[in-house]
Amino acid sequence: MQHVRFDVVVVGGGGAGLRAAIAAAESDAGLRIALVSKIVPMRSHTVAAEGGAAAVVRPDDSLDSHFDDTVSGGDWLCDQAAVEYFVARCAREMTRLEHLGCPWSRKADGNVNVRYFGGMKVQRTWFAADRSGFHILHTLFQASLKYPAIRRFDEFFCVELLVEDGGIRGVLAIEIATGEFFLFECASVVLCTGGAGRAFRQNTNAGTVTGDGMALAFRQGVPLRDMEFVQWHPTALPGTGILITEGCRGEGAILVNKDGYRYLQDYGLGPLDPWPRPKAMELGPRDRLSQAFWHELQKGRTVTTARGPVVHLDLRHLGAKKIHERLPLITEIAKTFVGVDAVEQPIPVCPAVHYTMGGILTNVRCETPLRGLFAAGECSSVGIHGANRLGSNSLSELLVFGATAGIGAAEHAHAAPRRDDSRMQRRAEETVLRLSGMLATTGGERSAVVRAEMMDSMEAGVGIYRREATLKAACDNLAGLRARCRAGLHLDDRSREFNTEWLGAIELEFTLEVAEAMAHSALARRESRGAHMRLDGHDSRDDVNFLKHTLARFGGDGPPRIDHMPVTITRSLPRTRSYGGAGSKAEMS
Amino acid sequence: MKADPVKAGAGVKTYVRPMGSWWLRNPFYRWYMLRELSCAFITAYALILLRGLMSLTEGREAFDAWRGSLGSPWAVGFHVIALLMVTYHAWTWFKVMPKTLPFVSIAGRRLSDRTIIALGLAAACAASILVFLAVFLNAPQAPP
Amino acid sequence: MSAPAHRTITIECLRYHPATDSRPRQQSYEVPFTDDMSVLQGLQHVKDHIDGSLTFRWSCRMAICGSCGMMLNGQPVLACETFLRDLYPGPVRVEPLSHFPIIRDLVIDQTDFLRKLESIKPYLMPAEDRPVASGTFLQTPEQMDEYYQFSQCINCLLCYAACPEYGLNPAFTGPAALALLQRYNADSRDAGTAERMPIVNAEDGAWGCTLVGYCSVVCPKAVDPARAVNVNKINSTRDYFRHLLMPR
Repeated sequence: MQHVRFDVVVVGGGGAGLRAAIAAAESDAGLRIALVSKIVPMRSHTVAAEGGAAAVVRPDDSLDSHFDDTVSGGDWLCDQAAVEYFVARCAREMTRLEHLGCPWSRKADGNVNVRYFGGMKVQRTWFAADRSGFHILHTLFQASLKYPAIRRFDEFFCVELLVEDGGIRGVLAIEIATGEFFLFECASVVLCTGGAGRAFRQNTNAGTVTGDGMALAFRQGVPLRDMEFVQWHPTALPGTGILITEGCRGEGAILVNKDGYRYLQDYGLGPLDPWPRPKAMELGPRDRLSQAFWHELQKGRTVTTARGPVVHLDLRHLGAKKIHERLPLITEIAKTFVGVDAVEQPIPVCPAVHYTMGGILTNVRCETPLRGLFAAGECSSVGIHGANRLGSNSLSELLVFGATAGIGAAEHAHAAPRRDDSRMQRRAEETVLRLSGMLATTGGERSAVVRAEMMDSMEAGVGIYRREATLKAACDNLAGLRARCRAGLHLDDRSREFNTEWLGAIELEFTLEVAEAMAHSALARRESRGAHMRLDGHDSRDDVNFLKHTLARFGGDGPPRIDHMPVTITRSLPRTRSYGGAGSKAEMS
Repeated sequence: MKADPVKAGAGVKTYVRPMGSWWLRNPFYRWYMLRELSCAFITAYALILLRGLMSLTEGREAFDAWRGSLGSPWAVGFHVIALLMVTYHAWTWFKVMPKTLPFVSIAGRRLSDRTIIALGLAAACAASILVFLAVFLNAPQAPP
Repeated sequence: MSAPAHRTITIECLRYHPATDSRPRQQSYEVPFTDDMSVLQGLQHVKDHIDGSLTFRWSCRMAICGSCGMMLNGQPVLACETFLRDLYPGPVRVEPLSHFPIIRDLVIDQTDFLRKLESIKPYLMPAEDRPVASGTFLQTPEQMDEYYQFSQCINCLLCYAACPEYGLNPAFTGPAALALLQRYNADSRDAGTAERMPIVNAEDGAWGCTLVGYCSVVCPKAVDPARAVNVNKINSTRDYFRHLLMPR
């Protein structure tokens, strides 16, 4: 095992991780920063984000408006102080990114263009064609190469956080190419490891989005907050779950059922005209749109395909020029993966798991309850998304909170005392033994079998609409699957060098623990709010009993313990969450 | 405190595949090598023309001898192949020409590579026709 | 959408293990597939159900992360956007990307490219630092057009696998790195062209290219690296004469 020393270790090289590393390097060029990622940073899932990043710039827009849209979009489960902090910093971060070279799409006069996005009242989504995440990630990655203080460890897989005396002391990781263990001793750790969408069968996520960082923190006693809130993106390709951006709808695309009918008007999102129009019809929030799909499915009004039921996303009326100019990636994707020319035919779409609103509990400074441990991005729950995330708030989140976490981690590293810690070495050696032992397991099941059962359980039990019986079944299934993993998973590959079967088995255990937290949190929330919808009598919002966050705490081999904590409300008192025509009436009252 | 030197990636015995006869492995490469080979034929043709030019300075007989040598079956055979090679070379030359040019915009619209290639080939054809006509319309009568 | 068909196709993989193999070997797998399955999904089926030791990189499944580049029947492609139905009846010959050292199976060593990427200074170097408070640079859509296609590079390395010059001379900076160099040089907000010239002017810079042109053919994102490299031959020549006539 190699033993190396750094001041700050950032785990995860996506948008949040790169931004955190850059922020730490800028706060102090003498800092020793390790950026540890299980993949080379430009492969991170940030790269797949398409639509854009929100920031207030128009003169007819205001921070208050962005705040209001976000808080109502989150069905009032947001920590409003965090939302205030967030909206005030978005424009600065977007501008900073532009200075680093990000090719935001422009208006004819050379200023940055902004477009409508679901749930946002005013156009405030900055976009780089329809591959905003790609450009943001590559800009950040290339910019990070300027900072000698950032030392990259590409394809190093983190397996444990090392904690002593209530504070973070280091990270244990496997160098994927050699299978050798590395102990990173450090004062601060920033987790930027992304979400856990791969717990579900139908998802838009990359194969790497397995909840690693969430599980790492979870195992060390850090609570996971609001895990029951999982976002289904309403428009993904059936089967693969490949994302079709909300930006399409921002440009005016419509959703129709098998009768060619714009069904969203039946679900409180109408009237139809004028179109496009913010916070109405296809520009309603994602949870409402995904739920509408589910209802259409129950009514038999979806289109049946070999890959499951779909509805049609129709772009044809936008015209070839606009489609090719504003949505080139979508055109490519529709052609390549479903053989559809978006100019001539509608694209078949259905909801798929896309984002994990919940995550590692942090305060607005990205500090977790564990001293020296910070978290930012999708793996964290800083409180800005509440029960449902608005599109384009996530890319902004990476930048605002990535920077906050990086600066915080740097400051903590300065203040933290240097200590020698042989206990940490011993603890690490125990883990090395345990994980190496996986390579020698005889018998056991293939991880693919366990993984498939987990995904099916989650899809059936913790889906768009939930019932007590299905949630309980999911909880039991997951406990059973964890036990089967503990009994030992069979590995064909027993070597050390680049053994992705071994790493996949370790990942599976991470994902199962996070999935369990999701299922138990959902069971405990006996109301319907945002993306968490129930059909078993708890089908409306209950602000009296459930205007609070869910906390899941690691229960070892047993299930997680569920607890709650209050929501921070500053100035937006819970109202009816309405969109469409009713929405504008509600705004005015 | 300096960071400890990190010996990452040491000890993995990567395998480097030899290039070998790489140009045979892919049709694209074979056509590329033919393009490169065509230069040899063009060079040979240029040297023959150069010989002809030099023979002009050596007097009528030398020039006639050179011209005569061009009539042998080998020479004709070579010239046929050389013509094919030059044509292929010109074709591939125009096909890659756009890659050497910065973007060209006319009235706000970018000139596509296909347009540039088409214009280039058209110009080459036109020039060839003009030269052909100039030579054969003005050809002196063959000596008796 | 087509109905699932249960046909089988043979995938022949090049295998190599650094600890046990002195040279690569072949291994074939019979893979049942449906009409919409990509080669990547075929490989995943092998790993999940037949042979867990088959090793390959993948992530996004939608041709944007650049992880899954490999040689399919001798051509560099992204496995996630190449479909088994188009290769039927097969067999499909799968090998790691050419011109790179093999770490294991279909996984190649990317570090040379990462070093080259860093060497071209792939970041904006504006003429003067602009404070955030003064807002964004102005850049018209026409100005963005000058560099935008070069910014589409997903670093998939297919162009390096296509480039025989890189294979013969690993010191060649290579298509993608030079395309990204051009992306920054052509960006109206950047003033770093002079600083990047030494890389362009080098024997292994733009001049390492003999315009094979295969890189632009295989690029999945229409970056056209061949153009990026070859317009820089003009820039390099201009630069040479400028310094000849007006020495520093």
